[in-house]
Amino acid sequence: MITKMIIDDKEVPFDQGQTILEVARANGIYIPSLCYHRKTGQASKCRICVVEVEGMRGLQTACSIQARENMKVVTTNDEILTARRLIVNLLLASGNHDCLACEANGVCELQEVAYKLGIEKPAFIIADKEKPEYDDSSEMIVRDIKRCIQCGRCIEGCNKTVVNEVLDFGYRGHETKVICDDDKIMGESSCVQCGECAQLCPVGAITDKKSIGKGRPWDLKKVRTTCPYCGVGCQLYLHVDENTNNVVKVTGYEGSLANDGALCVKGRYGYDFINSKERLTTPLIKENGKFRQASWEEAINFVASKFNSIKKESGSDAIAGLASAKVSNEENFAFQKFMRKEVGTNNVDHCARL
Amino acid sequence: MPALAIAQQKNKNYLSREDISQIAKIFDVSESYAYGVATFYTMYNIEKVGKYHIQIDTCVSAFLVGADAILARIEKKLGITAGQTTKDNLFTLSKIQDLASCGTLPVIQVNNKYYENMTIKKTEALIESLKAGKMPESDNSQNIVSECKILLKNRLNPKAKNIDEYKKSGGYQALNKALAMMPADIVGKVKEANVKGRGGAGFSAGIKWSFLPKDDPRPVYLIANADEGEPGTFKDRQIMEYDPHLLIEGIAISAYAITAKTAFIYIRGEFGWIADILEKAIKEAEKDGQLKHLTIIVHRGIGSYVCGDETAQIESIEGKRGNPRVKPPFPANLGLYGCPTIINNVETLSCVPFIVEKGAREFKKIGVSGSFGPKIYGVSGHVNKPGVFEYPLGTPLKTILKTAGGVKGKLKAVIVGGLSVPILKADEIENLNMDYDSCLQANTMLGSGGIMVINDTVSIPELALRTIEFYAHESCGQCVPCREGTQLVKSRLKGLIKGLGTKEDIDLIIKTCQTITGLTLCPLGDAFAIPVKSMVSKFRDEFESLVKY
Repeated sequence: MITKMIIDDKEVPFDQGQTILEVARANGIYIPSLCYHRKTGQASKCRICVVEVEGMRGLQTACSIQARENMKVVTTNDEILTARRLIVNLLLASGNHDCLACEANGVCELQEVAYKLGIEKPAFIIADKEKPEYDDSSEMIVRDIKRCIQCGRCIEGCNKTVVNEVLDFGYRGHETKVICDDDKIMGESSCVQCGECAQLCPVGAITDKKSIGKGRPWDLKKVRTTCPYCGVGCQLYLHVDENTNNVVKVTGYEGSLANDGALCVKGRYGYDFINSKERLTTPLIKENGKFRQASWEEAINFVASKFNSIKKESGSDAIAGLASAKVSNEENFAFQKFMRKEVGTNNVDHCARL
Repeated sequence: MPALAIAQQKNKNYLSREDISQIAKIFDVSESYAYGVATFYTMYNIEKVGKYHIQIDTCVSAFLVGADAILARIEKKLGITAGQTTKDNLFTLSKIQDLASCGTLPVIQVNNKYYENMTIKKTEALIESLKAGKMPESDNSQNIVSECKILLKNRLNPKAKNIDEYKKSGGYQALNKALAMMPADIVGKVKEANVKGRGGAGFSAGIKWSFLPKDDPRPVYLIANADEGEPGTFKDRQIMEYDPHLLIEGIAISAYAITAKTAFIYIRGEFGWIADILEKAIKEAEKDGQLKHLTIIVHRGIGSYVCGDETAQIESIEGKRGNPRVKPPFPANLGLYGCPTIINNVETLSCVPFIVEKGAREFKKIGVSGSFGPKIYGVSGHVNKPGVFEYPLGTPLKTILKTAGGVKGKLKAVIVGGLSVPILKADEIENLNMDYDSCLQANTMLGSGGIMVINDTVSIPELALRTIEFYAHESCGQCVPCREGTQLVKSRLKGLIKGLGTKEDIDLIIKTCQTITGLTLCPLGDAFAIPVKSMVSKFRDEFESLVKY
């Protein structure tokens, strides 16, 4: 059965179970959203995705209404724009959304919506502004609570995606805020710094500490690669400052099978080794108790000759091989093949057993 | 949630972080989840409180009858301001939003006890007595008139709490009759009687019941919504406290009709003593063999207005923060614990025994076309004899006000259905009848039937500020228009009252309220946007007179 609906007079196909927002996105039609994220699902909290649905009274949130055959949706009219403007203005007026100083500048979803609506600064100021709250107590993550729009993505991610169960909403009404454990500062909480919350945050409320001031998104080159730490094969983006050839930030690649954007603390924040002065760049051979640099050819020949002489003197079983979790399954397969066939021993193991 | 409440009870009315962590461990939930729950509900004290926690209702109805003066007197007497504790840790003083005592105002809650009908003199005596370590008796007397003698028929009989007394006047006969009927026939009767939801929304109970999915393997739950918190409303407690078996019988019949084996009574936590009465009455009914088909559980709320919303109430029973859910799905399909659930107001359920016993036709003889049956109206504010009055739907407002002893002073305005409905000016109530359609025609709503009478001594901007303060306090904080919109409106009203406002501020309030209407996740947005907008637009001159620049 062909299923189609009409968004802004355009006929578009959809799959059963898709929401209006998902259908619009799949067909390149713009409906803003702040709390919805593919991974965390609908929340219907920001109310910015409101649209008009024929036959339904009042505005409806596109993130919560499922598409139906021949449903007619209008994504932009005066009423909708008035509602969206009010929401953006309320958010801008209620927090500290100064883009110049914000790490999220350029990737901020609130900034994007404000830009699309033509809002440069809030239309009004709400008195009784709260005092600033800044939590930089943890190793890798900075929480700028004044920038939080309470969309709840970080909480969903923490509890449902990575299941670390550190974050939740505390207090209520205007006092509502994201808390770590029983409202501890992050550095004293049970947080393991995986950074899933920072990855999901639509604004600059949760950011990567190490990347602060290291480059604007538009100045950095995003390079997709595979995380080198273990064999899972998490896909990630290195954000590279090409002027200095430094990696200044790592984000998970969303949509990959292995990790869908999630990373562990090592994969997300342990990238200093890349340009570390202590990093080995050539093989080293120890002579007289001291290492000296060598070429790969020399090193491999040296190891091969040692293997051969040990085999000759003491037999193949005098040699054992330990493989690494940091390499792929294929590489580990090749390694055990090498140990069994070329070296001739079953003494092969893997560090993951330790 | 009950675990947190017990921990607090055992620890001098204080809920410590250690206890919260401990409970999180026992129930295998995260610490942040438990702390999130503990900080959502106002009755959990996460700060230490004094031996006597004095809480004064300063919400709209109380504001009308001088609660602020009593608060000021206590502050002076104890030498602390609201939110503080005395140095000797004897007293903690707090302002509290509506306690559902609007007919017996001013009201002071000391720990779990209500002191109603307070005066400055009585307040002084109360404090003196507490200082001497004694909780005095309270005077909770209330004006009652029951013309229909259906919902309040036993209200003035102090013995009616007892099951034998209740049965003497025909109690539980309707249940026996119902149990001999097919459940679908009872649903049919209730549908035919067209009994509209008395909680405020006015949705037909029978139609709501018929939304339950057919042939569904999941259990069905019934919840009696006893979270009476709409400012100006104090009707359900009259039934629960004085005639608990009427509600229990109503629940027993309704649960049988919708094939629920478990029913909950979600009662606001402040009504602790009424919850005790209900629990006792349920035990009596069980012992008497009336509840063989059903288990009724009394679930106490812990201080949240928004938990009066169906889906927030479900979340709360499930032990979560009282955040309303996105609808659809509706509770009839996906309610408590993911099962089909029906939620009805106490007064609605209390109409059911009459319908079953006397028939839908008899029920429809009461009231007017489209609005059938009896209704409990609560009258508070500037009348000589505030109280609760049971009249047929469609009774002229004037008749009810007359029963309430007439207006004190010169009438300025009336809010007829609880705080969430548009205010009416004195000239708009002239011929108003208190039924669903007439109220709609008058551009307001019957709501919960909580009538607040306002005389010309009241400043409407002050009233609007009290109104928005209530909703700002009770907003769950989930969605932006409500969480931040209440702050915007509050700040502008405060500014105007301080003399710092402009005409643009007045327009901004109206425009903001207009845009918020229909935009929020749950009905709380409409509940403040509609009345505040009506106050500002109907009494615009009063707001404009505050503009100095």
